Amino acid sequence: MTPATIDEIIKTRRILITCGTGGVGKTTVSAALAMRAATLGKKAVVITIDPAKRLATSLGLDTLGDHATDLTARLKTASQGEISGTFSAIMPDTRRTFESFVTSLSPSPAVAERVLLNPIFQIFAKEFSGTNEYMALERLYELDQTHKYDCIILDTPPSRNTLDFLDAPKLLARFFDERLIRWLVLPANKIVSIGMRKALQLLEKLTGASFMTNLLDFASALFEVRLAFTANLKKITELMESPSVGFLMVAGPSPDAAPDLKYFTQSLKEHKFRFDGIVLNRTLSHLPLVRTASDQVNSEMKAALDIIGALREKESLAIRELIAPPVATLPELARDVHSVEDLYYVAMALAHNSAGS
Amino acid sequence: MQLLNQKLIFVSGKGGVGKTSVSKAIALSRARQQKRTLWIEFENPTHPNSDIEAISPYLSHLNCDATRAFEEYITLKIGLSAITKIFVQNKLISYLAKAGPGIHELVLLGKVWHLRGDYDHIVVDMPATGHGLAMFQSIDNWSKLFNSGPLHRDAENMLETFHSPEWTRHLIVALPEEMPLRESLDLSGFLLRLFPKNPAAFLVNRLFPRVSETATNLPGTPDNWPTPVAASEMDYAVKRSVLESYNMRIWRDLGIQSLELDFIAPPPRDSFSFIVEKLADQIGNKGFL
Repeated sequence: MTPATIDEIIKTRRILITCGTGGVGKTTVSAALAMRAATLGKKAVVITIDPAKRLATSLGLDTLGDHATDLTARLKTASQGEISGTFSAIMPDTRRTFESFVTSLSPSPAVAERVLLNPIFQIFAKEFSGTNEYMALERLYELDQTHKYDCIILDTPPSRNTLDFLDAPKLLARFFDERLIRWLVLPANKIVSIGMRKALQLLEKLTGASFMTNLLDFASALFEVRLAFTANLKKITELMESPSVGFLMVAGPSPDAAPDLKYFTQSLKEHKFRFDGIVLNRTLSHLPLVRTASDQVNSEMKAALDIIGALREKESLAIRELIAPPVATLPELARDVHSVEDLYYVAMALAHNSAGS
Repeated sequence: MQLLNQKLIFVSGKGGVGKTSVSKAIALSRARQQKRTLWIEFENPTHPNSDIEAISPYLSHLNCDATRAFEEYITLKIGLSAITKIFVQNKLISYLAKAGPGIHELVLLGKVWHLRGDYDHIVVDMPATGHGLAMFQSIDNWSKLFNSGPLHRDAENMLETFHSPEWTRHLIVALPEEMPLRESLDLSGFLLRLFPKNPAAFLVNRLFPRVSETATNLPGTPDNWPTPVAASEMDYAVKRSVLESYNMRIWRDLGIQSLELDFIAPPPRDSFSFIVEKLADQIGNKGFL
């Protein structure tokens, strides 16, 4: 497989999902990808979950939240030229998305209200690992259905490992396992075995009666929305499996990232999703080795150069051992990216340090 | 600065700041003082074993697994009997244990709580910010949801222990970069709401050598520099140390006192255990314990 360039990938896919562990610069790369797409004439939008506050401020996202903000004019200023496409950004409110999601699944407003007010649901909405991930996909699907954009970049929520995102639909689906909910909804059913009845009695003894009431109520509400949820899950899965969607992994230049990378590509294959390559971020190898004689630098500078040297060595090892050459390499910058100007710099670097170019 | 004398140390922070190496280094440093120490990780997928394993005479490791912790917890509550077995293997119960929001978190922290008497010190590598916080939040949630019964009492007792400054230290790790420094403040705010009498301590990891406090040929703050790029290795070193000192104002302005760990030049391979040793040296030399 010859690695495609970033520009080719942008032209091929309607949707790009960026994955990676915390701290690798996923959010910056995602925004830069959308920016690059706009310069190529795409109507591009980035869905970003958790941008740095000052980046959000400079993108005008801090006050807006859930609606798409058109940033094309800012991009034009930063690029000092004409932009043939458009560049927008959205920072979705996952809690609101979840509430409107539940409302849309529910057969009636009464059922929706019953779910939303249930104390177990409230914990579920806030903390169930997988909720944020699934809601990001839901927002992506919704946005794609509007046909307003021909390039959507989804910045995945921060998670322990990159697989959490891929597993989110499965995790959530497990919650809607019909046979199991049925047991809770119909406890008086004759089909319920003695073992099951004993288990429920014991559960009540451990957790208290009011918990059981809430649980049964929650379960019967879930039971009513299960079919709509399953249909929704199917639509989302089909979209993700379609050739319109590609996955990019953002990684730091260290051989320590190799196992995560391996699990990630394997898991993509199992899900029948398309892997478009690795964006190697924060590399140091572009820095010219301008060094003065060692007696002229102080001990702090010597220590600093030792660290940089060690990191560069790790980097070259990482690059040699990558499963495929990175589709793009981004140099470590000397400051945090907070401005549209710096982001534009990254967007250009994405295209120009891309494989093949 | 001795901020880590408690029996239980929970190491939290944003993803990628080095929670795992810092938490293990604290544990190692304690073990070097011949204190029986347990270092706990939660559900590390690259470490399949979920038994407590001895690393050295004073240091042990546990990769805590929720399914196992749940079974152990239930056994503890209702005793080992045929019913217990039926209960934990019951499809519905295992469904609730796995899919039920917060139960996972509850039993993992419950395991830490139950082990608290068995060691001199327990150091816990928490999941990244949101998930880590959710773990503590879930005990609070469950103590309210289970309004009676043994689970309610246990959740209350856990909260009390994790709230007590005598028992527990919440340590927030950050890097001298803007996002982790800011996120750490949000995290400490959330933790303070849960544990108002036990404010978290702060640690900044991977501080770059202080090559220069000011870049003399550069205007104002890093945002005013004409280019985001460094021209050479030495230019990068100067800019990075200026940038870090500029970023640290986020904590400085609030008067936050923090522990500091210096950047360690990593070996090309297997840097984890090397870095842990070096960090433990620093923790010992700087008198953090």
